[in-house]
Amino acid sequence: MNRLRAWFLAPSWIVMGGLFLAPLAVIFAYSLLTRGVYGGIARPWTAESYQRLADPIYLGILWRSVWIAALSTVLCLALGFPLALFISRSGRHKNLYLSLVMLPFWTSFLVRTYAWMFLLRDTGLINIVLEKLGVIRAPLPLLYNNGAVILGLVYGYLPFMVLPLYATLERLDRNLLEAAADLGARPWSALTRVTIPLCAPGIRAGAILVFIPCLGAYLTPDLLGGGKSVMIGNLIQNQFTTARDWPFGSAISLALMAIVMALLVGFLRRQEEGLL
Amino acid sequence: MNRVVVNRTGLGLAMYAVAAFLFLHLPLLILAAFSFNRSRFTVWQGFSLAWYRAALHDSQLLEASSNSLIIAIFATVVSTIIGTLCAYGMWKRNSPALAGSLYLSLVTPEIVTGISLLAFYQWIFRFLRIPLGMHTVILAHIAFSIAFVVIVVMARLRTMDGQLEEAALDLGANHWQAFRYITLPVILPGVLAAALLAFTVSFDDYVITSLVAGVDSETLPMVIYAIARRGVNPVVNAISALIVIGFGALILISERLRSA
Amino acid sequence: MNRRYFLIGSAGLAGCSLDRRPRLNVFNWSSYIAPDTVPKFESEFGVRVRYGVYESNEEMLARVMGGNSGWDIVFPTNYIVHPMLANALLAPIRRDLLTNLAQLEPSFQQPEWDPQLKWSMPYMVTAAGIAYNRKLAPPPRAWADMWDERLRGRMTMLDDPFDTLGACLKKLGLSINANDPGELRRAQAEAIRQKPLLRAYLNAEVRDQLVSGDVLAAHMWNTTAQQAMDSAGELGFVYPAEGYAVYPDCMVILRESKRPELAHQFINFLLRPDIAAANALAARTTTTNRGARAILPASFRENPTLYPAPEVVARGEWAKTLDPAAQRLRDRLWTEIKAA
Repeated sequence: MNRLRAWFLAPSWIVMGGLFLAPLAVIFAYSLLTRGVYGGIARPWTAESYQRLADPIYLGILWRSVWIAALSTVLCLALGFPLALFISRSGRHKNLYLSLVMLPFWTSFLVRTYAWMFLLRDTGLINIVLEKLGVIRAPLPLLYNNGAVILGLVYGYLPFMVLPLYATLERLDRNLLEAAADLGARPWSALTRVTIPLCAPGIRAGAILVFIPCLGAYLTPDLLGGGKSVMIGNLIQNQFTTARDWPFGSAISLALMAIVMALLVGFLRRQEEGLL
Repeated sequence: MNRVVVNRTGLGLAMYAVAAFLFLHLPLLILAAFSFNRSRFTVWQGFSLAWYRAALHDSQLLEASSNSLIIAIFATVVSTIIGTLCAYGMWKRNSPALAGSLYLSLVTPEIVTGISLLAFYQWIFRFLRIPLGMHTVILAHIAFSIAFVVIVVMARLRTMDGQLEEAALDLGANHWQAFRYITLPVILPGVLAAALLAFTVSFDDYVITSLVAGVDSETLPMVIYAIARRGVNPVVNAISALIVIGFGALILISERLRSA
Repeated sequence: MNRRYFLIGSAGLAGCSLDRRPRLNVFNWSSYIAPDTVPKFESEFGVRVRYGVYESNEEMLARVMGGNSGWDIVFPTNYIVHPMLANALLAPIRRDLLTNLAQLEPSFQQPEWDPQLKWSMPYMVTAAGIAYNRKLAPPPRAWADMWDERLRGRMTMLDDPFDTLGACLKKLGLSINANDPGELRRAQAEAIRQKPLLRAYLNAEVRDQLVSGDVLAAHMWNTTAQQAMDSAGELGFVYPAEGYAVYPDCMVILRESKRPELAHQFINFLLRPDIAAANALAARTTTTNRGARAILPASFRENPTLYPAPEVVARGEWAKTLDPAAQRLRDRLWTEIKAA
């Protein structure tokens, strides 16, 4: 049995080892090299790239990425929780509503981001409607700022928050809510003091599933932020393309990975039941 | 009294749900609606299929679409097979190292996966002289799809009764036969769902593909991005509508097959 | 089911390789060639050309730096030729294969960056200035006007380190080819000061926004500006008072190219006066081809944006190869500007 099992796992090991772990090792090595005169990598070995990370300019980008990701996560939670609650209580139509939530997810992320470009620009639908209604006289600068980026991120990752929340809410024991009602709790108190605490695992899972991709987001700040809302993902891409500074880009990537792993260890340490 | 309050909450929740669903779907519906607009500006100037005609006659778009399709099909087939085998093996007995690697590949930001693969390919190029092309993209897609497949198939495996296999073994089947004739048919819906997920993720990928693609492997998301970068273009609206309908149909078909 | 997918996929791949004609891969700036040039070449020589586009030198360089990009011909600006040579990216040009070489303007037969034309062949010349919407009163006249508060959120600068740093250097009265770290840092400070006013850093892709009126003033190359002005009458273009950068773009053959003879034939084809004239007309540029200039219609040769008056020409400064340390510093400064 063990031999058969080894055969079953071998292809995955080859792929993971060769196409995921080996590349990470390569960029780890690159992060300790120097940039060639016109780009690429060269000797000597040095930790200079990591030292450059401490520059306030780059710490500022890290900070911006963190608060944009955090705000997006909180908004997803605030918007997604009532939705998950509704679906979990809707009886017969649960699957239909779930499909409706997941349907945008199946469409291209690029298309969904482009949809907001289409709506938010100066001559886009929102501005035109507001101008026609006489609410504003000049177009509002809705695009190319942090707000647009957050909107795009919330729109893109809302389904990722709703699903784990729904999963936990669905398993909630109704009797607990009945007991709370019997003891005199009003619906709002029952919500805040019974439902939400019991949902904690789902909230944690959803928060991780939203925060981490938002932290490393690239497309959304690129298209909706106009290259001004530079986040870590954009900085990394920039170093590997136009700036051609591979050691620095590698150092930033590994720093990002370290943050992600620290978050995972901190958040999921308490959870024995993982996804795998 | 409690019943009245609960109903009011129920109504409020329902109204909120309607608003939330509108938020989720309206942007895409508007995008699709304006793909039929004769003018390229946001002022409605009459119904027209011109943009669809332009999209379907653009040779670059057609080639990119066919590239995306080929890459997605190859990547899906390979990652589904490898991922299913892996999920089965890990269901028998967990391998923390492999589980950790898979989970890490799931949460690693796409940009990091992409640049690490690019750096890896460039490093290998010094020895093997293989240029970037379709194969580098397909390999990259396989790499990031496997974790998705493993999760979905594993979820399906967990709902299965392990005793079925034991019974087969008792009756004289060997391990491979037990897997092939007992387990596989049971988890097949899960495998198909995983394949669908892998296909979607591969077809839709922009970040990783744009970094590791070669001259001949431009994909549909890359072309869309190049057009979208210049600003709003109704051709993108048309392509987007086609993609949404295409995938919607795919999902519907798979749902029908699953419940059949 | 797996088998069926495999068969379909194989058929798809087979279909791709059924075309047995030789193939040339050309990577050029966007909107920088006449629409029928490539088809004409394909039919005359019986080959297939894959034509890709990019928006900036850095984007092109990042793709070809690894030596495995797959492109045969690219079009760097003159100051990039030497870095590419230093990185062993270029294949030597055989002048004996270029029968149309004599068609080049005499002033470009021995250019500063490549006196023997051993590695590059001049293509077209562009310059950078300010494109603006005539709604702006008074219209911008100098680089300093791009630091004006009234343009907040409605203007863009080029997403190009050489251009944007060049504009800042000109604003400070310095040379665009400055190599001194102090001068470069002063220019960087100017750019960072300007950044909050910008809508975005965009290259040719801002053309649509200029035409639609979303953007009121854009740092733009004269070719793109002319293309925009063709679509919208209320646009204008000005060469700033402090001076501006002029760049010849060149054709080079990459060392990784497996079809150097075919590449030479394409370059020779582009040197033909009728082809060069068609390209210049379509892309709205100044040509380096003497024979082409003779064929161009008089109205085109009098276009003030593309062929400005002598006193404007005198303000222009030609881009030169930078020294490596300065290039490296500029790249780092640009990262910091983008990150600020």
